[in-house]
Amino acid sequence: VTATYPPDRHLLRDLRFSFDESADGTRHAFIPVVPEICGDDGSVRAGALATLVDVVGGGLAASTARPDWIATADLTLHLFAGARAGEVEAAARVLRAGRTTVVIEVGLRGNPLHGHARDVGIATMSFSVLPRRDSNPEVDEMRPVARSTMAVDGSGLAVPLLDALGAVVVDERGGRLEVPVTDWARNSMGAMQGGVVAMIAEAAGEAALRHAAAAPLVVADLQITYLSFGRVGPIETAVEVLACDAHSDGASIEVVDAGADHRRMALARVGATRRLP
Amino acid sequence: VTSSGFGVFGSDGPAQGRDVSRYVCVDLRETDEARITGHAPAASHLRALDGRMRAGALLTLLDNVGGLCGGLAALPDGWVVTTNLAAHIVDASASGPLRIDSHVLRTGRSSVVTAVSIHDEGAAGALLVTGVLTSSILVPEHGPPQWTRPVVLTTLVDDDAPAPPPIPEWLGVSPVDETTVAIDLAAPLRNPWGILHGGVVAMLVDLATEHVTGAMPADVVLHYLAPNRIGPVQASARGLGTRADGDVVRVEVRDVGADRVTAIGVVTARA
Repeated sequence: VTATYPPDRHLLRDLRFSFDESADGTRHAFIPVVPEICGDDGSVRAGALATLVDVVGGGLAASTARPDWIATADLTLHLFAGARAGEVEAAARVLRAGRTTVVIEVGLRGNPLHGHARDVGIATMSFSVLPRRDSNPEVDEMRPVARSTMAVDGSGLAVPLLDALGAVVVDERGGRLEVPVTDWARNSMGAMQGGVVAMIAEAAGEAALRHAAAAPLVVADLQITYLSFGRVGPIETAVEVLACDAHSDGASIEVVDAGADHRRMALARVGATRRLP
Repeated sequence: VTSSGFGVFGSDGPAQGRDVSRYVCVDLRETDEARITGHAPAASHLRALDGRMRAGALLTLLDNVGGLCGGLAALPDGWVVTTNLAAHIVDASASGPLRIDSHVLRTGRSSVVTAVSIHDEGAAGALLVTGVLTSSILVPEHGPPQWTRPVVLTTLVDDDAPAPPPIPEWLGVSPVDETTVAIDLAAPLRNPWGILHGGVVAMLVDLATEHVTGAMPADVVLHYLAPNRIGPVQASARGLGTRADGDVVRVEVRDVGADRVTAIGVVTARA
C-alpha cells in the first residue's frame, strides 16, 4: 500500500507483523506471541489471528485483482490448537481468482520458541473485485527479498489489545461493547480495519457466552460477513446466544456504527470451546 | 463459478433442474420485497441414522431459499451464482415442519449477500441453523430468468409416491478410500445449467466429513470455486485437529473428469 499507510503509531505496527513470500507465490505473515494479544487461557485470541489473516489475505487478494480493487466480503477462522509462545505464521494462497471474486485460504501455524511447530488453525476470505477508483491505494508489486517487518522503533503493545482499542464492555450478558474509531485502528480506506471488526465481534461473543455458560469459554470458530465500513463510531455490538450447553456454544453478533445512524457493519457467528489444546 | 441457488430456478421455467428442490421438498414464497420464506418437512429421508437432520439437507434448504432471495435482488439486470455459504447449525434434532427465512443484507454492484435461518415450527420456532449466502451477480447468456411476482414455487409432492431414499443412496455415494467419497454426476443432481447443484456439493461435504470423523458438521464454510460438469465428483476430508467440542476438518471437492478443485469446505464436526 502507499507509503503513508500505516502511520508510525498504528495497530499493524504495534502488532509487529512481518512478511515474507515463497517462490510458489504463497504469502507469509508472522505475529509474535505476546501476553497483550492472548486471552486468559494463555493462547492468542481468535480476533488477533483474524487481524493477521485479514492483513496477509487482503494483501494477496489486492495483488491478485490488479489493476482492479477489492472489497472484503467475509472472513472465517477455525482454530484447533492454541498458540502460546513464539510466533504465529499465516500462509496465504489463492484458491480462486475470478472476474468478480477472489478467494484466499490461510493456514495458521504456531512456531514456538522451543519444540515443534504445529498447525493451529485455518482461515478463508473472499473478496469482491471492483473497478479501481482514484481513491483506492496503489498496491506495491515489489516483492520483499527477505523477511520485512511493519514494526518501527517503539512499536509494541503496552496494554492488552482490547484495551488499546478502547473497547468497553457495557453489558456482558448482551455482549454489548463500545469501541471508538481511532486512527490507530483505521485501514487504508479510513475505516475501522477489518480484522479489528472481527476482533470486536469475537470479544462480544466471548463475553456473552462466558456469561451464559458461567465458564471461561474461548472462541474457536468465527464467521464474519462485512456489510459496510465503520468510519464514525462508536462501534457497538449486540449478541444473541444461540446455544450454550454441554454439546454446543455459539452466538451471533451484530456490529453497527452507532455514529453513522447505527448502520450495520457486519454480522458474525462464533463457536466456543472450553480450552484450545 | 458454480450453481447452488442459481441452479434451482431456470429461465426455462421451474419444471427443469428442480430435482434437488423436490428431493428436499421445499416450497418457496416471496413474502415481501427482498424476502423469501420456504417451508419443508423434516422428512425421514433427510435424516441421519441417529435421527437428526443431515447437515447436507439443512444446507441445501439454506442454499435454495437464500439463492432465490439473492437472485431476485439482482433483477432486472442479472441473476446470481452462489460463491460461498457459511452456516452455524445450532440444533439438528428437528421435529418439523421447517421454516426457512431469507432476506437481503446487502446488494452491491457485483454481489448479493443474504441472511438465511431455519426454524423448527414443530418446536415453537426454535432456531436450527443461521447462515449467510454470498452470490456473484452475472448476466446469463439469454438474460435473467423471468418471474411472476410475488414468486411462488411449490414442489407438488405426491403423497402416494414411495418415500425417497436416504441421501447417501439418492446421491449414489461410494467410498473411494479412508478419506474420500465420490458420486457420479447423475442427471437428477444437476441444475438447469447442467452442472452439479450447489446443495448436492454441500451434501457431499457433509458425507465426507462423516466418513472421516463419524461426526456431523456443526459449523461450516463452503466456497464454490468452479462448476462440476463432468464427474465423478470426489470429496476428500482431512482432519486438521481435535478440540474438546469436536473435530476441525478441511474438505476438498474435485471434478475428477475435469481434473480441478471445485469447492473447499472447512467444517467443525461434533458427535
